[in-house]
Amino acid sequence: MFDLNICHLYPDLLNTYGDRGNILALQKRAQWHGINTTVQNVTIGDNFDASDYDIIFLGGGQDYEQEIIQKDVLEQKNTEIKNAIENMKVFLCICGGYQLMGKYYKTWDGKEIEFLGALDLWTVGGKERMIGNIVFESNFIMENGNPLKIVGFENHSGRTYLGENIRPLGKVLFGNGNNGTDGYEGAVYKNVYCSYSHGSLLPKNPMLTDHLLTLALKQKYTDFDALGKLDDTFENEARNTVIQRILK
Amino acid sequence: MKIRQVISIIASKLTIFLLHLLKRGGTTLPGKVAFKLYPDILKSIASNFEIIMVTGTNGKTTTTRIVEEILKNNNVDYITNKSGANLLSGITTLFIQAVSISGKPKHKVALIESDEAAFNQVTKHLTPKAVIVTNFFRDQLDRYGELYSTLNAVKSGLERIGDNTALILNADDSMCASLGIATAKPVIYYGINQQAYQATSENMNSDAMFCIQCKNKYEYSNRIYGHLGGFYCTNCGYKRPDAHLECIEIQEAGSSYSTIKCKCSSTLLQENNEFVTRINLPGLYNIYNAMAAAACGLALGYKVETISNALQSFESGFGRMESINVMDKTIKLILVKNPTGFNQVLSFLALENQSLNTAFLINDNLADGTDISWLWDVDFEQLNNVSDKIDGLITSGVRGEDMAVRLKYSGLDTSKIRIIKDYHMLIEEGLKKTPPGGCFYILPTYTAMLDIRSILKKKFNLKEFWK
Repeated sequence: MFDLNICHLYPDLLNTYGDRGNILALQKRAQWHGINTTVQNVTIGDNFDASDYDIIFLGGGQDYEQEIIQKDVLEQKNTEIKNAIENMKVFLCICGGYQLMGKYYKTWDGKEIEFLGALDLWTVGGKERMIGNIVFESNFIMENGNPLKIVGFENHSGRTYLGENIRPLGKVLFGNGNNGTDGYEGAVYKNVYCSYSHGSLLPKNPMLTDHLLTLALKQKYTDFDALGKLDDTFENEARNTVIQRILK
Repeated sequence: MKIRQVISIIASKLTIFLLHLLKRGGTTLPGKVAFKLYPDILKSIASNFEIIMVTGTNGKTTTTRIVEEILKNNNVDYITNKSGANLLSGITTLFIQAVSISGKPKHKVALIESDEAAFNQVTKHLTPKAVIVTNFFRDQLDRYGELYSTLNAVKSGLERIGDNTALILNADDSMCASLGIATAKPVIYYGINQQAYQATSENMNSDAMFCIQCKNKYEYSNRIYGHLGGFYCTNCGYKRPDAHLECIEIQEAGSSYSTIKCKCSSTLLQENNEFVTRINLPGLYNIYNAMAAAACGLALGYKVETISNALQSFESGFGRMESINVMDKTIKLILVKNPTGFNQVLSFLALENQSLNTAFLINDNLADGTDISWLWDVDFEQLNNVSDKIDGLITSGVRGEDMAVRLKYSGLDTSKIRIIKDYHMLIEEGLKKTPPGGCFYILPTYTAMLDIRSILKKKFNLKEFWK
């Protein structure tokens, strides 16, 4: 019997756009695959030991809440997060959580806010928010021989740019993605997956959920082979409806 | 007489007339026409009314309907906006309809529901006598931006109007109550006392967990739902203010009404400062709506008896728990638009003692919010507690498939979930499954409500909403 420990970092602060759905998706799909899970909430002031967990999740927050976690994440959890990343721990970071992994956030009027610097990427604030449905294709996961089409909803004013060692998660087919100009969305570094997609991202894109579960299980168990198939009728209908609607 | 004003009123009234001829319930266009011709039109004609305003995230429409009932019980001649025309143009249309061509008012009082994001704009033109603020919850972030920007918009709207306006504020909402700090305006707080209700579980996805004053995490002496309750900050001392009007006991919480005991401070009511009353709608959130309206009524000097009568007799607003009788069955229409409101509706459904047939109609048009991520913040998991009663769950609307996914991940039996996109078929299916004497619940987002309502109207002769 396999089991996975999932950590929800700052669930009370980074949870703005239904990001909890990602935790639910990891939990439920693992359960349907016959894998036990535990979910641990870790927030401000809590002790955080990355080796206790197999998957670590960070969601998006409003400016007010992002300010509150700033000190805690930089002073208390910085080294743990960085070491975990280098040790191939699986992370999923959405929107604010994604930006936080980078080096800094520069507001549109020039103020620079220091972020974790765990990944070689940075964000510059824009005056206009980029809001709407997004579809992008990711060749990290193949579907019938083609890069997987992932759907979500973006709502961000920050424009994120990737450094040399970071690959984008996918190519934007519809929407803005990282910065609205270079045509890419999200970021991948080792086993860290970042995206601006809310929606929630994982429930509607079950192949991505299974991809993350697989990565985590392979890290933990040498005898783990692969996940089986599940009935994804509803998920596929939801994803295809959006794809057909906006890519027609 | 200002000639521009007269032209503006005539043009706007003509637009209203034409829209009615075309059998369209247009509430936006006439207001727009009026502003185009005379930007000061609203300020000018509204100044002759005594204005009561209602704003906030949840409960605006129901609270407005209860205040309306209080006015009726006091034989007050009033106008009020219905059908969700709560943006600047819709409010303007209402006032234009209520004045003569020369701008003379035909009524004394104007009871205005205002969208919280539009409140700041509306108060450039209106000076209310009293403002009720219901609460602040996350709602349509794709439209409103962040929750704190909504609060700030209402705050600056209030700062714009003079110190004679009474503020009727929710004591249990740390964000709403903060509007009463550092203001010279008279403030009346309403709330639910901690003796009356204590939530059993803490809602993980609370909207305001950190102090609005100093960003420290709040402690709670009791929780009602969401972030509402007996909050206090151990760092700066900001805490739930004492309420002038409180529900101190919930004596009965049925599936169609609640009986409650209220207590009033001497500023509102000198003698017999306790009274028992019945609220003509179920659910905790309607107790808040009733408290808000009652506090406003008391602040305006209306008698307790008339207020109590109003609470017992008001009918819910457009799409907010409307009942339609079809043979020996009932269809109940309940609008859903954000996580907290939706959660309250679900806990209400859990009170139903018959088998549960429910349809969820989710659209993502502008008026619904284009982002449906919020469905993941709704606690559908609570339906697992009544899973033996759940007979059928239908999902529909533009995002019906997403809704089905959400229900699936809440752990409910997927064989009970069906996606039916055609509303006629959905109504037929839902009614077929509902036992005699039973109830089929339809929970739509705003534009889905307009659609299903117009079908129900044709099928079962519902009232036209703009009348």
